[in-house]
Amino acid sequence: MNVIETYNLSKYFKEKKAVDNLNLQVEEGIVFGYLGPNGAGKTTTIRLLLNLVRPTRGSAIVLGEDITKSKNYLRKIGFLPDVPNFYNYFTPREYLEFFADILNVDKKRIDEVLEIVDLKREKRRIGTFSRGMKQRLGIAQALIHNPSLLILDEPTSALDPQGRKEILDLILSLKGEKTIFFSTHILADVERVCDRVGILKEGKLLLNDTIDNLKKKYSRRTLYIEVDNPQKLFIKLKEFPWVESLSLSNKNGILVKIKDMSLPQREIPRIIFQEDLFLFKFEFLEPSLEDIFLEVVS
Amino acid sequence: MILKLMRKEWKEIIKTGKFYALLFSFLFFAISSPAIAKFTPEIIKSLINSQQTQGLIIQIPPPTWKDAFLQFLKNLNQIIFIVLVIVFIGSIAEEKNKGTAIMVLTKGIDRSKWILSKFIFQLLVSFALLSISYILCLYYTFLLFSNFPIKNSLFSTLLYVIYLFFFLSLTLFSSSLGNNTIQSLGIFFGIFILLNIFSIFPNLNSYNPLYLSTLENMWITSYVELKEALKPIISTILLSFMFIFLGILHFKNQEL
Repeated sequence: MNVIETYNLSKYFKEKKAVDNLNLQVEEGIVFGYLGPNGAGKTTTIRLLLNLVRPTRGSAIVLGEDITKSKNYLRKIGFLPDVPNFYNYFTPREYLEFFADILNVDKKRIDEVLEIVDLKREKRRIGTFSRGMKQRLGIAQALIHNPSLLILDEPTSALDPQGRKEILDLILSLKGEKTIFFSTHILADVERVCDRVGILKEGKLLLNDTIDNLKKKYSRRTLYIEVDNPQKLFIKLKEFPWVESLSLSNKNGILVKIKDMSLPQREIPRIIFQEDLFLFKFEFLEPSLEDIFLEVVS
Repeated sequence: MILKLMRKEWKEIIKTGKFYALLFSFLFFAISSPAIAKFTPEIIKSLINSQQTQGLIIQIPPPTWKDAFLQFLKNLNQIIFIVLVIVFIGSIAEEKNKGTAIMVLTKGIDRSKWILSKFIFQLLVSFALLSISYILCLYYTFLLFSNFPIKNSLFSTLLYVIYLFFFLSLTLFSSSLGNNTIQSLGIFFGIFILLNIFSIFPNLNSYNPLYLSTLENMWITSYVELKEALKPIISTILLSFMFIFLGILHFKNQEL
């Protein structure tokens, strides 16, 4: 079952197409990484899903409800904005008591979520908190009503390594329990916690797949070959149309980017044999998410 | 829901000290107004004597309870008015600007209820403080002037309640339209200046909410025909509801 489904969802601001014909599906129970460079339209998508802005065109079904017709689904969503702001004069407990009160949540839940985010013993006012503590409190307020869908907008972008680790550990601890829609431009975070990834550029969704599939899809396109005379092989390979790009690497190595793997797998060993070269290494390179991302967005 | 949201407003004005600023303002002018009315002529007399102006004759009529209440109303219409506007005008705009409103509204809380809770709360706090300061002013007036002007002062204060309702509704409207406190203040005082300009036209003046402050004074100094008071009362209440309606409508359709 899909928790989020969008149909040609679009949001235009004057001339700028912030989100353009977005067709996105997010399955229940997964951690979905919503990737894109700054200004790609990630936050606007989230604002659309949360009914903070109206779509210019298209529609979306969130938790089974049409976002243009109902707002009841919002009760089942926990949201953490990119820069969360709080009532700074409250302590964390007072802040969560306010939400528990308006959402009719049992007061016991306050202790539970404060325990999860490790702020149970914190008695100071929120205004004195560090950025990392505020982010953890943001997750606590998002969890207070035990939502089935968590939407986190760049939760780690402004944190130091320690703070980032804490937030990612928190997300990992919630994995499987809730569906998490997680926007970011930090690829290492996505690689660490997400099951599936969508890449957005200039408001358009360029791909939506599992990380494993993406790696498989892009892995068999880069080869690393080490021979005794790499220059000779370099000149020879340049003649073939299936070679996309070539570069010399290290002392004896060549990086070969190819369009289709079927021919080179037969052709390259033949060329090495014909040119009378000694083969030291022949390896399919596993791309990082960063390589995939850069390739897709460019 | 509105009550629960109002509870947060109450905690906010207590913790931020805004309530104490309001309380102090209301109490200070409730106590000081009769005192100023009573002692100003004596202060002036002593100043004249000390400056050796024996030839100069200044006649100051003896102060009455009317002077005390006129002073009280003057402070309500000027200083208390500004204090209330400054304290309350940012309540919606600043929550939008800082993003604290988003944290609440993305949990499915109805926007109308959220904005109404703020308005009702501001109205109740202002009304409660006004009642306390009115009683206090009455008490001090009685102490200093041995007079108990309950009827005139009550009618006059009731007119101020209607005026208070109007400018709090204008505060809601301005705060809903503005994206921060400065913008909201600009909208508020822009409309306020327009109302002042309208008061130049005699035909429009009797429907102008600002005319209520003139009537407040008239009720103290002389007597006001109910017919004469009804026009500004009705138009002020209608205008207030219009500002509340437009403020809520704008906020409901606003993209955050």
